[in-house]
Amino acid sequence: MAITLVPAPRAAPPPLVPKAVRGWRERLSPYAYIAPFFVLFAVFGLFPLAFTFYVALFDWNPIGDRVFIGADNFTRMFADPRFWNAARNTVSIWFLSTVPQLLLALVLAHVLNHARLRFALFFRMSVLIPYVTSVAATAIVFAQLFDRDYGMLNWVLGLVGVAPVDFVQSAVGSHVLIATMVVWRWFGYTTLLYLASLQAVPLAVYEAAAIDGAGPWQRFRHITVPSLRPVIIFTVVTSTIGGLQIFTEPLLIATGAPLTCGAVRQCQTLTLFLYEQGFGEFEFGYGSAVGVALFVVVVVIAAINYLLSTRIRADR
Amino acid sequence: MTHRLPLLLAVGALALSAACTPGSGAGGGGDGKSFEFWSFAAINQKASVDAYRGKRPDVEVKLTEVGTSTETAQALTTALAGGKVPDLVLIQGDNLPKFVQQPQNFVDLRTLGADDLKGDYLDWVMKQSVAKDGEVLGLPTDVGGMAVAYRTDLFAAAGLPTEPDAVNALWPTWDAFIETGKRYKQATGRAFTDNAATSVFYQAVNQVSEKYYSDSRDLVYDRNPQVRAAFDLGVEAATAGITAGQSSFEPAWSAGMAQGQYAAVSAPSWMLNTIRSNAPDTSGKWGIAKIPGGSGNWGGSYLAIPKRAKNPQAAWDYIKEMQSPQGQLEHFGRVGALPSTPSVYQDAKLVSSKDPFFSDAPTGKIYTDSLLGLKPFYIGPDSATIGQEFLNSITNVEQSGGDPATAWDDALRNIKTAIG
Repeated sequence: MAITLVPAPRAAPPPLVPKAVRGWRERLSPYAYIAPFFVLFAVFGLFPLAFTFYVALFDWNPIGDRVFIGADNFTRMFADPRFWNAARNTVSIWFLSTVPQLLLALVLAHVLNHARLRFALFFRMSVLIPYVTSVAATAIVFAQLFDRDYGMLNWVLGLVGVAPVDFVQSAVGSHVLIATMVVWRWFGYTTLLYLASLQAVPLAVYEAAAIDGAGPWQRFRHITVPSLRPVIIFTVVTSTIGGLQIFTEPLLIATGAPLTCGAVRQCQTLTLFLYEQGFGEFEFGYGSAVGVALFVVVVVIAAINYLLSTRIRADR
Repeated sequence: MTHRLPLLLAVGALALSAACTPGSGAGGGGDGKSFEFWSFAAINQKASVDAYRGKRPDVEVKLTEVGTSTETAQALTTALAGGKVPDLVLIQGDNLPKFVQQPQNFVDLRTLGADDLKGDYLDWVMKQSVAKDGEVLGLPTDVGGMAVAYRTDLFAAAGLPTEPDAVNALWPTWDAFIETGKRYKQATGRAFTDNAATSVFYQAVNQVSEKYYSDSRDLVYDRNPQVRAAFDLGVEAATAGITAGQSSFEPAWSAGMAQGQYAAVSAPSWMLNTIRSNAPDTSGKWGIAKIPGGSGNWGGSYLAIPKRAKNPQAAWDYIKEMQSPQGQLEHFGRVGALPSTPSVYQDAKLVSSKDPFFSDAPTGKIYTDSLLGLKPFYIGPDSATIGQEFLNSITNVEQSGGDPATAWDDALRNIKTAIG
């Protein structure tokens, strides 16, 4: 006797009848609910932004005259070696901090996701500790570790007969120092992002791979990294945007000339240059022009982010 | 990686603070019984405020120590551009010209009676706070005066004399100072002075008769042989290997001072307080000698009242009381800052004052002497920027391996970029 499976008749969904919108109150109330964000955004986001564009067109002394000079601030900026120096430093520090940070986070996330790791929660939480530490405290500790005369790092180098390195006063040294601070502060945050994404990968996939004879490295390379691709791109882009705006770390480690981050501006970043012009030299117009340039670069990178992430979604 | 918030905040602050018109609104409107006072840290204005509290218990002084002198000037700029201004603010001499260029931001002290007091102060010090139409923006609190503080114990260990007169004889000129440094280095293998930029160049360049501007207020920093000579002295000191390469006022500089990492440091009168607090364990181990190359001045500050101050009268009462010749003399007794009022230079309290921390050096006499025969020069709006670039260039040679042969040209190029 053959059995036929007959699907049960599905109950028809209740008809969706939109309730008639009655009166202006109901029509406007949704806008009232979302208004607080947009009002705040307009006051603290949009207005300052627009105003910065406006100020950039002036020779603007905060406590004196303002003269309309059109695009002169921008022509001056493109011809200013200090601007390009700051741009180079920013890119260099960004590169030195992003690459090790993401690699470290990848490996750590892979390890923390391991099924047999004991005290996993403890380790997962503790990678976040640097992230919640104040950046000023971080800077003070690192400046002491890397100090030329009294630093622990140079003490260790001295033990193996290496002459003390003046990290702050050399370009490469100061970039490494700042990048180390950034890595230390952010790797835990990135690790948790990766870990969250990895948790979505079924453990069975790893087990199946192990049964098929894949070693730890192969599992890392062929399962962990590909499944993290979207979030890796996300972190690369966000850390690029963040790296372009790095300010506190160089300001705090510089000795002698804080706003220039060293005697020859060896670690002056774009935001530090902006601040130096605006508040050190009292040239609001020129400082704003640098801010506008920075804004444009960030928008371009955000656009790349958007394109990449939509492409990834399309791939699936 | 940092959030984008800081940029938005910075840009926002920039924009918001610029949004208001400076100088708008008249002053006054306060209770007249209290005033807010912004000073910089480490200059010990607190001692002066405490003394005023004793004299005028009915007035409440809210003292805020903002930070370094530069940070105080920056905070003042932001406040003038649209924030809440203090009733009274201390401005360091180097930061003053930028404010003197924009006198509309401050109360013209003549309206409060400054004309009667102007004659009390050193003429050339007073002149620096007078704007183009004669507005008096600030009254001077102190002047620098210059000298060199040296460690007698370290000098003795290096076989150098330790008595002030004998030490004076070691360095009549800056060249002799550098030669002494070489002798010290040879004998001990250690650094002689803290750094070349402030302890040599910055001292020498403050002894000129004409600095970065001519008397007719034209920029001459690039062709003034006096500036070039001071700069060359700085480079010579930087390359002679006699410095510790510690930038002034940094934590490592303070630590080095306490540990005897260097034996001599330039010491304008207000610096004595810094040495005392940085290296309290070295009491009695210091001597004070004359500055090589004769008289000069480094530093000094001014008290000013912003236009929108709520309690200008209470602030003015404070200035009048504490910056009078007698008030400055008392302040000298408390913290050792040299008065800017020449009428007390002969006063026994000043002339006979001795400082036990510095082996009973007659500090009052040394510093007033260093002001005699001083040839004042004009300090212009870009003087601070120009000076900083020269300092940076010498620091680059000293600490970052910069080429001494191109240091001067590098400095000039950087100055041209900076001042446009």
